[in-house]
Amino acid sequence: MNKNEFMNSLKSQLKAIPENDKQEIIYDYEEHFRIGLNKGRNEEEIVSSLGNPKQIAKQFKANYRISKVEEKFTIGNFFQALFATIGLGFFNLVIVLGPFIAIAATLFAFIIVGISLVGSGLFVAIISFFPDTYHNVPSPLVGILVGIALSAFGALWTIGSLYISKWFYLLTIKYLKLNLNIIKKRGLNHD
Amino acid sequence: MNIQFKKGVLELCVLSILDQKDCYGYELVHNISKSFTISEGTIYPLLSRLKKEGYVITYLEESIEGPTRKYYELTESGKLVLHTLKEEWKSFTNDVNQIIEGCVGYE
Repeated sequence: MNKNEFMNSLKSQLKAIPENDKQEIIYDYEEHFRIGLNKGRNEEEIVSSLGNPKQIAKQFKANYRISKVEEKFTIGNFFQALFATIGLGFFNLVIVLGPFIAIAATLFAFIIVGISLVGSGLFVAIISFFPDTYHNVPSPLVGILVGIALSAFGALWTIGSLYISKWFYLLTIKYLKLNLNIIKKRGLNHD
Repeated sequence: MNIQFKKGVLELCVLSILDQKDCYGYELVHNISKSFTISEGTIYPLLSRLKKEGYVITYLEESIEGPTRKYYELTESGKLVLHTLKEEWKSFTNDVNQIIEGCVGYE
């Protein structure tokens, strides 16, 4: 690999990094090449002692993602930092993500159930107004009451699920913040 | 030397060298390579992080023999971190030495 190939490979791996930071990174390696060439080494020698540009780019990306989640903690930023450090070869994704996805999916199902109950209740209440069309409605009054009760239950269920989801979200953030220090230590020491 | 181990101490080495004098990236790599082999390219992600954390600052300087160089200078907070890392390192190596030299008192 010569200098151009190295620099192009590095640049193409740094797309996620803001332009200013990227320029600075490029500058550092350009300088490294200039000084190395000036000291009489050739491009191939310099490239081979620099190491794999993909591996180098991964470290810059991990640095960037970690600094971003430290700046502003969101679940999105956290997972990007997590993925960037996984890129360095540390974490087993399944261990971290498995339980999270399972709980999140369950809560999502709860909310869907609640919304469906509200919908069904409304449906029952509405068709009770048309006893002639829907013969299985015992009496309009009973139908409307059952419909309203069903909707009310569904609404309570949904609100309850939303509360649990919010609580789960806050708990997840707390847990992730605890993990951030571990990720940071491992990610950054991989220089 | 064990790879994981080496990566952990690279930061300590870089900060220590910068504590003695300001260096440019190439020079740092060159000095460290004299003691143990590293992938030279990995020094720049480390330097960029140290700069972001405020442990070093940089300035550009023309050189007589050739291209402009970017020098890294240790800041006060960098010196504090270096001090902590040094203490950790000393107590760690001391413990390990006691074990491998058999001075802990096992019979």
